[in-house]
Amino acid sequence: MARYTPPEQSKIGQLIDVVVLLGLSLGALFVPLRMGLSGAAKVVATPVENPTWETLGQTAVQAAQYEALGYTPATAHDLILARFDYSFEWSSLILMAVLIIGYFVIMLRLSEQEYKDVINEKFGE
Amino acid sequence: MANTDITSKVMDGMGPHGTKVGLLRVLGPAHVWALGVGIVLVGEYMGWNFAVGKGGAYAALIACWFAGILYTCVAMIDSEVTSTVAAAGGQYTQAKHIIGPLMAFNVGLYLVFAYTMLEAGNAITAGYLVSVVAGMTGYEGVLDQRPFIILVIMFLAWLNYRGVLATLTFNLVITAVAFVAIIVLFFATSGIIGTGIMNHAALMEGQAALPYGTLGILAAMHFGLWFYLGIEGTTQAAEEVRSPARALPFGTLAGIMTLLIAATLTWYICTGILPWEFLGDGVNGSVAPLFDAARLSGSTGLVWLLGFGTLFATLASANGCINDASRAWFSMGRDRYLPKWFGAVHPKYRTPYRSIIFLVPIALIFALGAPLDQVITFSILSGLLGYTFMPLNVILFRRKWPLDSIKRGYEHPFHPLPAYVLLALCAITYVAVFLGYGTQLIAMILFYVVVSLWFHFWRYRFVNRGAQFTMPWPRPKGY
Amino acid sequence: MATWNIIEYGAWALSALFGVLMIADWIKTDSTNSEEVLTSSREGELEAMSEDRRG
Repeated sequence: MARYTPPEQSKIGQLIDVVVLLGLSLGALFVPLRMGLSGAAKVVATPVENPTWETLGQTAVQAAQYEALGYTPATAHDLILARFDYSFEWSSLILMAVLIIGYFVIMLRLSEQEYKDVINEKFGE
Repeated sequence: MANTDITSKVMDGMGPHGTKVGLLRVLGPAHVWALGVGIVLVGEYMGWNFAVGKGGAYAALIACWFAGILYTCVAMIDSEVTSTVAAAGGQYTQAKHIIGPLMAFNVGLYLVFAYTMLEAGNAITAGYLVSVVAGMTGYEGVLDQRPFIILVIMFLAWLNYRGVLATLTFNLVITAVAFVAIIVLFFATSGIIGTGIMNHAALMEGQAALPYGTLGILAAMHFGLWFYLGIEGTTQAAEEVRSPARALPFGTLAGIMTLLIAATLTWYICTGILPWEFLGDGVNGSVAPLFDAARLSGSTGLVWLLGFGTLFATLASANGCINDASRAWFSMGRDRYLPKWFGAVHPKYRTPYRSIIFLVPIALIFALGAPLDQVITFSILSGLLGYTFMPLNVILFRRKWPLDSIKRGYEHPFHPLPAYVLLALCAITYVAVFLGYGTQLIAMILFYVVVSLWFHFWRYRFVNRGAQFTMPWPRPKGY
Repeated sequence: MATWNIIEYGAWALSALFGVLMIADWIKTDSTNSEEVLTSSREGELEAMSEDRRG
């Protein structure tokens, strides 16, 4: 097989490649975050008016620890009552599975293509 | 100066003048152990407690042990491949030789992201710690944490740049302090010595037992990984180990056992002292749970010990992360997977200095711009993708180079059982991340899909084909 | 307490110092060495010498 000689990349080209990669990776983290789509947000489903340790569902021992940490029922309200929402659509779970499996399949296929070239050039046809 | 630095990970095979400096094969199993535990131990000091938030205290313990099984598989599989590949690039080099260039590119990015995000998480924790200390010493206002977060990253980057990678002894000492601090806290609070302040029964009764039901156990698996994330970094030392055949498996598996003990003790201490809602919220509640547990112990000595333990753990870990991430970035630059500009080595310090500098602002952006759980999730997801790659890697490795074709330093037992167990646990963890952090998961996968296409159709044209296969192996079977 | 404000400024200053040190050395290194020398490192030179190969 003919030896493949890669082209030299110009300085500008190198810079553009870095910027593209950087933009993509920052986008992956900050776009969901900024759009408020990150599911991480816990929400307080049922707020309690004028909370006491009892109405927050805390036992005496638990309340004592909160007080030792410097909390009052009012300041601990959000911390104690916030919960994740684990209700999910099966369709989105399936979408996720398809996405992950698809990603690995595509990647392994393209890798295999490239790998054959590497082996042929390294060890000869 | 660097000629006698036996702990340097960057001396051999890398420097323009130092490619044949004979300092390889000097480390023993204890060093491997110290390296692995050093990077990971910070996971006990912060971050794991989000697992409590996702499923409650019991769920966190179950997740802790299942993640322990996952990482035992990771350690066994990685030990076999690395004892053969024994190159500094770690999993990136493995992927390049065993699966193919695109996989290697992805694995390289997993490494860079997992370590850079872990570094950012460490810096956030260190900044928080300083603000707590300020509050404890009577500071009234709200301390600006940013200069301290920046200082941690800048200082450690500078250390790495100078090639004075905090020497292994230094890292070993501060890691040992952090580990001993956990043990001391356990004995001081558990009632084994003196009166204990543990109150598991009362803190975990009622709705606190399993607040999300059984689904919470699954969801907690997400942050259960954090107890051990980074142990696979031991294999980065493969080039400097005296006898990889013995030292790598021994050091790595001893590291995993140490972490299993440390993780279980940490869980026991924290859930016995801190209410789960506070413990489980690592952003607004307990950023550094062991430190908070010490604060409630009423002992000033313990507070300082655990304060320093937390600080040391974050610094040791961040230092290793900068080193590993910049090495992965550098390796990709050297192979032109990334612009070759990054493949430069400092002629004097023999470090991949451009990669180190380049990753500083990225770490800063994440440390200053995102909440801790998001940063950790990013790190965990990158790690998780890497763990999914490992079983594929070892299965193909055994297929392309059967046991009698190349000598292995270590052969992991029961193949292919660990590979399938690891794959199954990874699948479970994807579902766990999906519960609560589904958008990030999908954004992350989309990112890797786009980047993969970009690499295959554009970037790969700049890469030499045959020259990137550098191992002296026979032709793979079936090619 | 003013002490902590001073420490805050100190942290800013130290961060800037480390940044300047790195960038200054980076520029100096790039301008005094040729690109060929800097990027002369190759993977596997070491492995080729030390790996024992069977079969």
